[in-house]
Amino acid sequence: MTDALTFGDLLERHEREIFAYALRLTGDRDDADDVYQETFLAAFRGWPPPRRGQERAWLYRIATNKVIDRARRAKRLVRMNDLRLAAPERDGVSMADLTMAMKVLPEGQRAAFVLRKLQGLEYDEVARALECSEDAARSRVAEAMKKVREKMR
Amino acid sequence: MTTVQDGKDEVLALNRLARERLVARARREGLETVGYGVVDSPLGPLWIAVGPKGVLAIHYGAEPSTAELGRIVRTYGPGLLPDARRSDPVARELDQYFAGKRRSFDVAVDLSPLTDFQRRILGATARVAYGDVATYARVAAKAGNEKASRAAGQALTANPIPIVVPCHRIVATDGTLGGYAGGLEAKRRLLALEGGTVPLGGWPKKRAM
Repeated sequence: MTDALTFGDLLERHEREIFAYALRLTGDRDDADDVYQETFLAAFRGWPPPRRGQERAWLYRIATNKVIDRARRAKRLVRMNDLRLAAPERDGVSMADLTMAMKVLPEGQRAAFVLRKLQGLEYDEVARALECSEDAARSRVAEAMKKVREKMR
Repeated sequence: MTTVQDGKDEVLALNRLARERLVARARREGLETVGYGVVDSPLGPLWIAVGPKGVLAIHYGAEPSTAELGRIVRTYGPGLLPDARRSDPVARELDQYFAGKRRSFDVAVDLSPLTDFQRRILGATARVAYGDVATYARVAAKAGNEKASRAAGQALTANPIPIVVPCHRIVATDGTLGGYAGGLEAKRRLLALEGGTVPLGGWPKKRAM
């Protein structure tokens, strides 16, 4: 499909995880809806994806930036009323961890935490999504985990 | 109590709503160029794509071939979106056709991604009436080159809009069925639907025009 990746393909493949990601970062269904739409519309307008095979990280990068932009604009309390909908499915991260991450982590670190621990991205993908080096991605995730675990004690 | 499964279902439902709004916005902004949907038919699932000028593809199977997709993307860009509202009118006419209640199609077809020769062959094919059959040679002649029956066969095999552009009505000069993208069984069933029983190998020679 090298010459025929369509926007619809990208949507079909990644919309569920991007929606879940938006929900896990915002904790609110309306915010998640906005982030999801803004992300895919931006992808659509910015077509084609910059690099073949890295469409997933590209979408996560757009979504992460949308969330950070919103947080910068809004500066309001996180509502977190819909966080239960995005309950973690992975070992080692509980609902309480996620809730704590929402409360104590700044957006960038929270994004790193959610990308790695909940969305299951590899570190190279996390790095591409956050536009940083793989080492930086690792240390951001580790730092986030440490903070969350400390607060949980 | 809310279980994880409830949460998952709710997220999927929210996702669906978000998708509907996204598609509506993409359409408003002129980003969506082609909408597609998959429908069930007596011949199995059909993938239907509708562009700004009409039906672009009816593909046997739930997913288009790479070639099919490439052809559409080259003409209309990558703005293909799942959009049942675009494919539903085609699906409705196909349902009526399969139920024996429709003999010709009203939906517009868009042959612009094809070559001039393909367009002429398919144009001649579209004029073969319900219940009739014609030979590849005859279609080639109608398209302006009676010696091109082999090329006509190729153009028909590559017909992107089968059923609506009735390439199943085109058979070999010796009365055998020739080929069909959806398989010969599908061709036989379509011809049977339109005009009765078709012999397994096609018709004897004199029956074909």
